[in-house]
Amino acid sequence: MTQWFAMNSVLIDQTLTAFLLALSIQIPLRLGVISFAGIGYFAIGGYGTGILVLQQGWNDVAAIIVSTIAAAIVATLLGFIIAHLNGLYLGMATVSFSLLFSAIAINGGSLTGGAVGLYGLIGPIETWHVALVTVLIVGLVVFSERGRISRKIDAAKEDPQLASALGINVIFMRRLSFPISGALGGLAGAFAISLKSTIHPESINFSLVILALTIIIIGGQASWVGALFGSLFFVWLPEALEFVGDFEAIVYGIVVVIAAVYLPGGVVVVYKDWKHRRQVNKFVAQAPDAPPPAELAGVSSASKDGTS
Amino acid sequence: MTVSQGDAVTSSPRYDYEPVLEGRDVSVHYGGVKAVEGMTFGLRPGVISGILGPNGSGKTTLLGGITRMVNLTRGSIFFLGQDYTNVPARDVIRLGMGRTYQTVRLLPDRTVRENIFLATDVILKKDPDRAAAQVERAIELTDVKNVEIFRPGELSYGVQRRVEIARALASDPKLLLLDEPTAGMNRSERASVATLLSELRSEGLTQLLVEHDVQMMVDTCDYLYAMNFGSMIAEGSPEDVVRNPDVQEAYLGKHGRRDA
Repeated sequence: MTQWFAMNSVLIDQTLTAFLLALSIQIPLRLGVISFAGIGYFAIGGYGTGILVLQQGWNDVAAIIVSTIAAAIVATLLGFIIAHLNGLYLGMATVSFSLLFSAIAINGGSLTGGAVGLYGLIGPIETWHVALVTVLIVGLVVFSERGRISRKIDAAKEDPQLASALGINVIFMRRLSFPISGALGGLAGAFAISLKSTIHPESINFSLVILALTIIIIGGQASWVGALFGSLFFVWLPEALEFVGDFEAIVYGIVVVIAAVYLPGGVVVVYKDWKHRRQVNKFVAQAPDAPPPAELAGVSSASKDGTS
Repeated sequence: MTVSQGDAVTSSPRYDYEPVLEGRDVSVHYGGVKAVEGMTFGLRPGVISGILGPNGSGKTTLLGGITRMVNLTRGSIFFLGQDYTNVPARDVIRLGMGRTYQTVRLLPDRTVRENIFLATDVILKKDPDRAAAQVERAIELTDVKNVEIFRPGELSYGVQRRVEIARALASDPKLLLLDEPTAGMNRSERASVATLLSELRSEGLTQLLVEHDVQMMVDTCDYLYAMNFGSMIAEGSPEDVVRNPDVQEAYLGKHGRRDA
């Protein structure tokens, strides 16, 4: 077992940081905010930690905390600037925001190490530290996926106007998702450099946007379980596909397309729908006052077209 | 600008009762289009008032103005004597207004029960028992107990509309606003909604019904306002309003009688 951990520690590290990054993008998405700024936050966290430790001689933990907070602050400001955007426009603005950091990293001279990046960060942070922090974060996320809060989040996403009429402060919730997303993305970046000892422009470029997006397509937007599933899938699948050699990328692509077509909403939604169907079927079979067929969908009202 | 919030007015001399909801010169313009123009009204407590008008006459926009979903271009609105013209939309439910929509607006991935619970969100944290009691009562009144574990998409249209009414009732409103609650329903579904509204009236709940179906309005309402092209063309008892020549022209003039 310990041997297995040792052999796969790189993949485990990658899974954890990819998971945190996926959460950073998933949380705004649950509120209907399509934001890829998580990659930018990842860059702030990663490069921030690298610069503070390697060039300023900071303590690792302090550097991680400060760069995570910095990412959250930048996210808050970004939230105010692009608050009025929606949908694809918001998505594009945040992609640009993220790619901006790629450009800064490449052209940052000795501060960012240019194309080579920053390397040699050998600190005290180990996989289990990251795993522990991740578990704590998941605990908080689980809280947001239950009962009242999750209903509010759902309403704010599905029908913001209705949510607002029901007394929910949609704007505040959307704004709040930015610093949370920023902190998660920043933390992912800070942990990534701490575990890998290096960060370079290629590790924060557009491919990271694709990774985060595909994780969410496979896993779904609705739950942290989806983000974890997606992260496991995408970190371990290429490994498992090694035997197909050059065709790896093709198989990988096909898997993603199949998932996008047949699993709309991701694996978590498929599971939830199945659970719900089972519950309903059980109720219909057993309850004495089960609704008559006329009240169920499929048996339509006389004149649905009568709506004005 | 409109009357500011400080100038609370208890009752207007126009009415011999204290209106639950009062609108003064309520107007909503979209650019040059006067969707609602100079509507003045005061809802009598405990009765069902109706806003009648052909499609596109501004009824739903007026309802949007009343619930602060759209901003008034001019005029002011009062709830139980309090000016709320500039109150944010999310505080309207706290004032004591519940509403339904012209189209079904339920969360598709949530059960009926969860959808109804959503309307108690503003009190859920402070008083969970009261919230639960209100939800139970709303479920009982609208008779949706046997579908509470279903998702909206699994239910017939008529039942979905009843769930919407349940959600509006779950906030324990002092005023219930209904936007075409029976649109698209079959006859027996319509009858059951009409019965529900009368039951709610007998419990003293003030209601405002927006509808283009004349027969439904005559059967259900105690007092009618008729609108056309954004303005009020008549008000009074349902019989008087229906006999009003302007109303008849609005309905019969070009299109022929489209209700019945």
